[in-house]
Amino acid sequence: MRIPPKYTQALAVVILGGATAFTVAVLVYVIVFVLSKGLPGISIEFLFSAPKDSGLSGGIYPMLVATFLLPLMAIAIALPLGVGTAVYLTEYTRETRLTRVLRFGTDCLAGIPSIIFGLFGYIFFVEMLKMGWCLLSGSLTLAIMVLPTIIRTSEEAIRAVPNSYREVSFSLGATRWETVLKVVLPNALPGIVTGVMLGIGRSIGETAAVIFTAGSILPRSVPLSVFEPVRTLSVHFYTLAREGISNEKAYATAAVLIISVLLVNLAAYGMMHRFIAKRSR
Amino acid sequence: MTAKLPIKIAVRDFLVFQGQEEALRGITLNIPANRILGIIGPSGSGKTTFLRALNRLNDLVPDTHVEGQMLLDGQDIYHPSFDVVRLRKRVGMLFALPVALPMSIYENVTYGPRLSGVRNRKRLDEIVETSLKAAFLWDEVKDRLTMSGLRLSGGQQQRLCLARVLAMEELEVILLDEPCSGLDPISTAKIEEALTILKAKYTVILVTNNTKQAARVADETAFFLMGEMVEHGATEKIFTVPNDKRTNDYVTGRFG
Repeated sequence: MRIPPKYTQALAVVILGGATAFTVAVLVYVIVFVLSKGLPGISIEFLFSAPKDSGLSGGIYPMLVATFLLPLMAIAIALPLGVGTAVYLTEYTRETRLTRVLRFGTDCLAGIPSIIFGLFGYIFFVEMLKMGWCLLSGSLTLAIMVLPTIIRTSEEAIRAVPNSYREVSFSLGATRWETVLKVVLPNALPGIVTGVMLGIGRSIGETAAVIFTAGSILPRSVPLSVFEPVRTLSVHFYTLAREGISNEKAYATAAVLIISVLLVNLAAYGMMHRFIAKRSR
Repeated sequence: MTAKLPIKIAVRDFLVFQGQEEALRGITLNIPANRILGIIGPSGSGKTTFLRALNRLNDLVPDTHVEGQMLLDGQDIYHPSFDVVRLRKRVGMLFALPVALPMSIYENVTYGPRLSGVRNRKRLDEIVETSLKAAFLWDEVKDRLTMSGLRLSGGQQQRLCLARVLAMEELEVILLDEPCSGLDPISTAKIEEALTILKAKYTVILVTNNTKQAARVADETAFFLMGEMVEHGATEKIFTVPNDKRTNDYVTGRFG
């Protein structure tokens, strides 16, 4: 017997709405849980002082700095490489077997577990290049890890720029490079920023790839050079929780990490909206 | 009569292949300077392909191959040593759909000059004013030049596009690809009026689906059909006593 459309419609609303509600509920639960346990432990002193007694007391300042420095340096390395690759693949080459193989390769790379990148970074940067555990080794490893994401999102964003814009630019005597610079990239920027956000999001909370390359040594102060080992908030949290050093400090660290990710996202979207608003005024 | 005018563009046995398909089959045509040449014909007749060949925009379409010659002031624009970027600064194009770039009106108009290295603010201001005036848009936008070009109406955007073409200092030839197909009668009249003034300075080639438009503004008219040029001559002749029956059928609205 066929179910009347009226009921299938109602059923669809219930199922789809339920899926949405479930997703939001889990997200809210995680955030509320971590914040409720962590917020009481956060204070100015906790944020801006160095850890003592393996993290049992003291604060997280060096880790907080490292947590922002690592993704920032990783993006600074990966962004020009990724956008450059995306521009080359979309604007300078025709769709061939080679570009399809390259695209398949980047897609595969995007799905590799981060610990594999960590292992690669350890063998290549830390051991082979003798850079040791340091900020730079970690940044380079994270850069390689987020590169596929940046390439793919930039490529999609560049492809979404209407071809008519390119034609107009060419017809006004622009070279391909001038067209890329003046028309393609500015219009692809929101999409590229999305890729960067995904990259930052993936690297700011990254633990496995960082532990092997940037180190996990408890720092006394903020890193003064890129060749110093650093410990990120997520690594710090992992150590505190796994070694049972302090649950209170662990949750406070987790809360700071979550708030940091939210702030970074807000800042990036704010910047993007201001850019778009400026261009369509 | 037309033979006495100086020839701006001479087209010799020009063919265009797009993949296996022959989009243009051997066009030979002299385009006189300082006249409006109207090109009419049903869709798929090769009018637009011909127009886009004149500033080599077809180069951007994969699998396009051309044969024959197109001589601009006697120089073959398809010769390997011919500078394509410079060609497009001399031969400007207005597209069927108005495409304002997502930047301000001012930046839209100065796009070409800035590419050519004009940086002087006063000089750019002058270019913007003269170009917008020539395109009959100045009075409507003079107080909001920093506004995004995307916020103009379709008809205004098309005139902005015309101003953007006119702003190019090396401009000699204006190509128009059905520039009024999406416009209201008033905007159309403004574009047509601009063209009749502009021909004193430039060579104008106007592809149009609207035969009445060709009859109104073109000095000469060419009729294209299925990749061939059926007939070319003075506009009055094409519209009153054409040599070819197919031309007659088309201009009297019997097909197409």
